[in-house]
Amino acid sequence: MLDVEHLAKSYGPIKALRDVSLSLAAGEVRAVCGENGAGKSTLMRVLMGVSRPDAGTIRLDGGAVSIDSPQQAQRLGIALVAQELSLAPDLSILDNIWLGNRAVPLFHRRKEFRRRAAEALTLLGVDYGLDTPVSRLTMGQRQIVEIARMLVRDARILILDEPTATLSDVEIERMMSTLRSLRTQGKGVLYVTHRLGEVFEICDSVTVLRNGANVGSAAVGQIDRARLIALMLGRSFTDMYPAAAAEGACDRGLEIRDLHIPGSVARLSLIAPRGRITCIAGQVGAGASAVTRAVAGLVPSATGTVLLDGTPLQLGSLSQRVRRNIAFVSEDRAAEGIFNRSVLENLVASRVTDHASCGFVSWPSLRRFAAQLCAEVTVDRGRLGAQAFDLSGGNQQKLLFARALGGSKPGVILINEPTRGVDVGARAEIYRLLREFCQRGYVLLMTSSDLEEVVGISDTVLTLYRGEIVSTYQHSRIDMTDILADITHPVTTKAA
Amino acid sequence: MTVGETPSAGRGITRLRLRPPSRLFLVRIVVMFVLAGIALATPSFLSAPSLTTLLTTISFVGCLAAAMTFITISGNIMSFALGAAAAVSAMVFVVVLNAAGYATAVIAALAAGAAVTAAQGCLVGFLRTNPIIVSIAANVLIYGVAQRVTNNETVQIGDAFLHSLLKGKVFEAPVEFIVFLAVIALGQAVLSLTVFGRNLFYVGSGLRAAETIGLPTVRTTIGAYLWAGLFAAVTGILLASRFHQANMEFALRYDYDAIAAVLVGGTAIQGGNGSMLRTLVGVAAVSTIQVVLLLYGFREEWRLFITGLIVVAVVILYSSRQRQ
Amino acid sequence: MSEQGIGSRERSELQPARAQADWLRRLSSPGLRPFLVFAVVLAGLALVDAGGGRILTGVTVFSTLQSSSTFGLVALGLGLTMVIGEFDLSVSGVFGLGGCVAVLYGNDSAAFGIACALGVGVAFGVVQGLIVTRFAIGSVPVTLGGLLTANGLAYVLTTNRTLSFDNIDLALALNETIAGIFSIRSLVTIAFFAIAVFIYAATRIGRDLIATGSNRRAALVSGVGVGRIVVSSFAFSSTMSALGGALLSYSLASASPAGLADVLVPAITAAILGGVSLAGGVGNPLGLAAGVITLSLLRSGFNALGVPPYVNDVASGLILFAVAIADAPYLLRRLMAATAWLRRA
Repeated sequence: MLDVEHLAKSYGPIKALRDVSLSLAAGEVRAVCGENGAGKSTLMRVLMGVSRPDAGTIRLDGGAVSIDSPQQAQRLGIALVAQELSLAPDLSILDNIWLGNRAVPLFHRRKEFRRRAAEALTLLGVDYGLDTPVSRLTMGQRQIVEIARMLVRDARILILDEPTATLSDVEIERMMSTLRSLRTQGKGVLYVTHRLGEVFEICDSVTVLRNGANVGSAAVGQIDRARLIALMLGRSFTDMYPAAAAEGACDRGLEIRDLHIPGSVARLSLIAPRGRITCIAGQVGAGASAVTRAVAGLVPSATGTVLLDGTPLQLGSLSQRVRRNIAFVSEDRAAEGIFNRSVLENLVASRVTDHASCGFVSWPSLRRFAAQLCAEVTVDRGRLGAQAFDLSGGNQQKLLFARALGGSKPGVILINEPTRGVDVGARAEIYRLLREFCQRGYVLLMTSSDLEEVVGISDTVLTLYRGEIVSTYQHSRIDMTDILADITHPVTTKAA
Repeated sequence: MTVGETPSAGRGITRLRLRPPSRLFLVRIVVMFVLAGIALATPSFLSAPSLTTLLTTISFVGCLAAAMTFITISGNIMSFALGAAAAVSAMVFVVVLNAAGYATAVIAALAAGAAVTAAQGCLVGFLRTNPIIVSIAANVLIYGVAQRVTNNETVQIGDAFLHSLLKGKVFEAPVEFIVFLAVIALGQAVLSLTVFGRNLFYVGSGLRAAETIGLPTVRTTIGAYLWAGLFAAVTGILLASRFHQANMEFALRYDYDAIAAVLVGGTAIQGGNGSMLRTLVGVAAVSTIQVVLLLYGFREEWRLFITGLIVVAVVILYSSRQRQ
Repeated sequence: MSEQGIGSRERSELQPARAQADWLRRLSSPGLRPFLVFAVVLAGLALVDAGGGRILTGVTVFSTLQSSSTFGLVALGLGLTMVIGEFDLSVSGVFGLGGCVAVLYGNDSAAFGIACALGVGVAFGVVQGLIVTRFAIGSVPVTLGGLLTANGLAYVLTTNRTLSFDNIDLALALNETIAGIFSIRSLVTIAFFAIAVFIYAATRIGRDLIATGSNRRAALVSGVGVGRIVVSSFAFSSTMSALGGALLSYSLASASPAGLADVLVPAITAAILGGVSLAGGVGNPLGLAAGVITLSLLRSGFNALGVPPYVNDVASGLILFAVAIADAPYLLRRLMAATAWLRRA
């Protein structure tokens, strides 16, 4: 049905797509795998008519087509369900399903449209009230509405971009059955994902992208997990991650006892020692990121005890965080981390008062401090005057890490999703940096939904399911299958 | 690559870091030169009365624009209540002057302006209410209460000695202009040299990020409004001194001129960027254009129209600079 | 941060434990709020009247409707721009300009004068809308420029004078009572509101407007003609303001570049009372009508009770403060923090 031949696309000097070919038949669910920066987003943009390719052909039912605009893509029957959903929260489900649809005439409240919308929802196996405002739906439900919207547009090819990234396991199940019904209707699905488990569960075939090229395609039955990972990473799994810390005794560091966050975390206790990377693994919504936020002082309703080197840390307020060198790196650094100011100002943001007297700032002192921080996180000193948002994702993350430095004693770095929005090349550098902090005696408590990363970088992994710790894995006993099982369908609570 | 708002562009204490200038910067320089050229070439521009008028106008609007700058940098777009604060300060100044002398009057006026504006700052800082709506509400409330209290009367300065003092000149420039320059200098010093200034830029460029690292966002916002109130009060004092009287009609449309000056100067309306020096340039540019037009025979009524066009043009010109 | 209008969205995908605030939220839900507020104001005024027979009369209704006609259309237009997530600051300037143009060119034919005013309104709105969409600039700076330009243009056209309108008969006719409570002016206003209500409820336009304000990117990607909607909304807003100004000037038989009435404050107040959210995506013409009527009732009521004029301003200011606080993004979390602190103390 769909044939993509030798697609190429560059943004200036960056070759986002070098030579990508794939094909999709009706009733086929094809996974498209690849790391961040492999070219998946660009491929989607080209197919959706948002970007024009520099070279290559796209054929639909054998005939070459040129997709000039999103409206054109819509007319050709290609639809995208992106990670950021295109729903208007203030409108009802019915209105969202028909949003922007050319078939809707000026006077639209017709039984016909209600019927077709209801039909689409039934086809997907759900029965939501058509007049419910979308703002009241969960993420998983919204995705279904989005897919329903595609169906009423008679989309033949659906591109789903990381559809399960933010879903609970129940919703993931529903998504799987939705895909099955799409398949039986003869739709073609391009399923872009990181999650290898789902590739093997629901997809018929898989195409792997790396550095903008198609490095391998196969039917799912003819490939195994290890080969898939090798294709995606292009290197042996272990090269990405620096050597783990040696086992053995270490200072206590951060202790959390009976942490309770209403609505997220039940009663959580853990120890994150100095010199170790401790990771909480859990799906979105399991409560992992809430734990780090609570320790960072950003959750007013959190209760429990937190001790750092034996001294208590107050929850629910941000006092003492800077003084005790506790830095929090949010998963949403654009909103909660980086300021729209220069690199220098971002680096020193939490410690300006240390370089001031009587309320007056000492610029030479600040610049010296910033240069020092730059060196420690290996950011080029010449970039101190640049706007922070002009830096790459990886460098922006380093700026945020740097906020934990500069104190007298090694502190605590709390990170949610350390390599979100960081391209492939920079990730290894981030991991090296994190390991280096550890060796200097920092406490590193992180959360991640990327299981490869969790397994690769952590010394200790705690698996979290619905706000409760399932098990703890240390060092060599960290295993991806076990962790995946814990965070999706824990059977029993195992002893560490 | 821009000559952004880095410490290098500050008060000259640090090394000037040269970076290739952006196209926009060059356009601004060119326009300023052209403007200066036209102004100087205009007959009777450099004559004493015309220059004095220009400098006086610049001083009044400029002080209010300096006040507005604090609010814009803090991320709160603009305020419609600064003119009202200036008027209140002017009235307080005259009333207290007649009763208790100069120094007390100045303090009282500053306090009045600061209080009225900082109160809004408390709402905005603490609850993050919409700053424009709050300023509109405050404006209406102030004028309503003032109606009741003053019965729309004008109060006169009684002391004749002060008349001559306040009409004086320093180095051929009117007193108000010197005060205005001092206000700009003070404001710029606060922005560049103090911890509060740094926090102001942080809060304006990323409120949530500032909250996440524990910066005193509420205090900083209130502080911005406090300083704005103080500078608005200065405007009121200057007006009262110049006209030997005060009533609530003072500074009635100044808010618009002030925000126009801030925008023309190049401070971004979304906040987190800007400086007093830019505002100075903006006020000078707008006022110069207005005076030149006047000298070329355009009557008074064209003033507002031209200002409006300038604002639109500048806003469009600067739109390319905004981050996507 | 990217702001289009003057509001900001604080979205949260989490479902926090908000059970106790739910009843409060439903009670103050934007759909119901305008009518609730109207009821409260009416009840309040009647109470203060204490049976004096000054409030619940035909005269009050008439003056309420008259007052509504002054700023009602402006509120409708402004409210619309707020619904799509923008903000038209220029309404008071275009209002005054519309009045001046109508009187300047309407001495021979009132219809021609109105047509000119409408033309000016459309032009202003379209230009502002185009600048906002083409250059992707926030609406506040653009409409600020528009306000100064429109106001300035009024001064230029009238050469800084107040103009008088010769057609006194028309002026009287516009304000003559019809059926005891209406007038031509108020009927025109009601007519436009009725049209707006109809279009909003029965056509796709209403949904597209809300979508544009609720999630502009989503609307764009889904194929909603967002550019057209933005330009049309600004055009509508300016046209309504110009029309309102023209009608007022005709009915008062004069026009002044300074404007015959301050419309920005009542229009914003009425829009917010009418359930329009500052962040966009919420609001409808029926609620706006309720907001306009409520505010007018307040003014007329105060008049009828013999209250001095400054009370109007004070009341308007306090109402605006109240709604600003009620809509404040951080209100809930501060209240919860305060109650938690009290509980601990």
